[in-house]
Amino acid sequence: MLSTRYALRETGQNLRRNYQLAVATVVTVGVSLAMFGGFVLFQTAADSATKRWEGGIEFVVWMNAEATPEQDDRIRERLEESSAISRFEYVDQAETFEEFKELFADTPELLESVTAEMLPPSYRVVPADPDADVVEEIGRQFRGQPGVRTVVFAGEAIRGIQDLSDRAGRVLFIGSIVLLGASALLILNTLAIAISNRRQEIEIMRVVGASRWFVRIPFMLEGLIQGVLGALVAVGCNSLLRTYVIDRFSEADALQLLAGFQVDNAALLRTNLVVLGIGVVVSVAGSAAAVTLHLDP
Amino acid sequence: MIKLENVTKVFKGDVVALRDATISIAKGELVFLVGPSGSGKSTFIRLLNREERPEHGRIFVAGQNVGTLSSWKVPYLRRNIGFIFQDFKLLPKKTVGENVAFALEVIGKPRHVIRKQVPAILDLVGLSRKMDRFPYELSGGEQQRVSIARAFVNRPLILLADEPTGNLDPQTSRGITGLLDRINQTGTTVVMATHDRSIVDSMRRRVVELDRGVIVRDQARGVYE
Repeated sequence: MLSTRYALRETGQNLRRNYQLAVATVVTVGVSLAMFGGFVLFQTAADSATKRWEGGIEFVVWMNAEATPEQDDRIRERLEESSAISRFEYVDQAETFEEFKELFADTPELLESVTAEMLPPSYRVVPADPDADVVEEIGRQFRGQPGVRTVVFAGEAIRGIQDLSDRAGRVLFIGSIVLLGASALLILNTLAIAISNRRQEIEIMRVVGASRWFVRIPFMLEGLIQGVLGALVAVGCNSLLRTYVIDRFSEADALQLLAGFQVDNAALLRTNLVVLGIGVVVSVAGSAAAVTLHLDP
Repeated sequence: MIKLENVTKVFKGDVVALRDATISIAKGELVFLVGPSGSGKSTFIRLLNREERPEHGRIFVAGQNVGTLSSWKVPYLRRNIGFIFQDFKLLPKKTVGENVAFALEVIGKPRHVIRKQVPAILDLVGLSRKMDRFPYELSGGEQQRVSIARAFVNRPLILLADEPTGNLDPQTSRGITGLLDRINQTGTTVVMATHDRSIVDSMRRRVVELDRGVIVRDQARGVYE
């Protein structure tokens, strides 16, 4: 039976003896997982921001909350009659309220102060020609119409942000995969050195009849601790990324186009759990490879 | 206690370390393995605790077929076999007491058992006053006594010793052999590979001689020759 006290003591000794390499491993795991977390969070934020622009929607005609049914019908008729419009979708007040609830799930005080009747319905329009000038031309025709509050375009800004988010996402994703591979190798090498440092102890353990797992577990635990510590570094980075980068994007946007470029608590928690899970998997894989390769069967 | 049936061990490059060896060693015997360097003494010992596996033949140790034993059972076999090295192999950063306790700790013995057994075994080997010393503070003979204490602290059925006096002067060697003899008198089977003529001649116990992997002599109350 493996004594927990023994395993923890040996693991602690290994980490202390090899602390410089252990720190390097934790930092590498942390950076790679932070990059992966960043990739997931940016994607989540971009998805959230562009939700209402999915399916080729190029502009939104926001009605006044108190627009009359006649005003509403007139806009609908114009949209139906226009040959420049491929299709459109009407989002009523109840549906808008549902979206609003999703968007501001983290701020219940705001939700409490808003009711469906206070929110404007809208027409989400897909033009036949997505050219920016054409879209602008069509959209402008609805501005100033009775009952219309404003017309908001998807515009180049949001497309630009989306492209940037995609490109940054790709770099972060590829970088994180490469660094995760490096992390597993680093854990493998750190443990190989730890095993080499304790070669004589391991020989004695074998001769006196220590079980294979008794010999292996302190090393596996060492790798696991490095992986989990690295993942915790990444979890901290993820929270900072959300607070100081992603939320700022959203706040800085005067045009409200980027409203919704944000990550809610549930998405952050999900990302952090995935990051922790990957940290565990990578460290266990590196540790298992190390004990299999460097501890004789 | 130990039985070899037509055992052959061949290393890479077709080096035959043991050829068609058949021998039985009863419980409580003390056997000297003698022969020149490279005659197969160490291989004989390493086969008994499954550090090596034979190409042919069967080996039984404490009722178990060592050659076919599944690898997860090997540690349990080794708990019945104490092993003494020529170069002691003490852990330099552990004290005498810790070196001996280590052997019990890594097989999961509880602390109260360790606290009881370690002083008792150090008393048996005459080192109870040096429990807190480090190996570098001890003479070669004392280090080998610690090594014996570590091998015997779990009261194994068999004690294997590979040239235990190879690094020691004649007088110290006699002391170590005397200690192994006392352990043997407690009923423990002892198999000792040695080059030490004077010890073998003075003890007059069973002598098994190997030459190029072949058992050429098996003599009760024998001498080195």
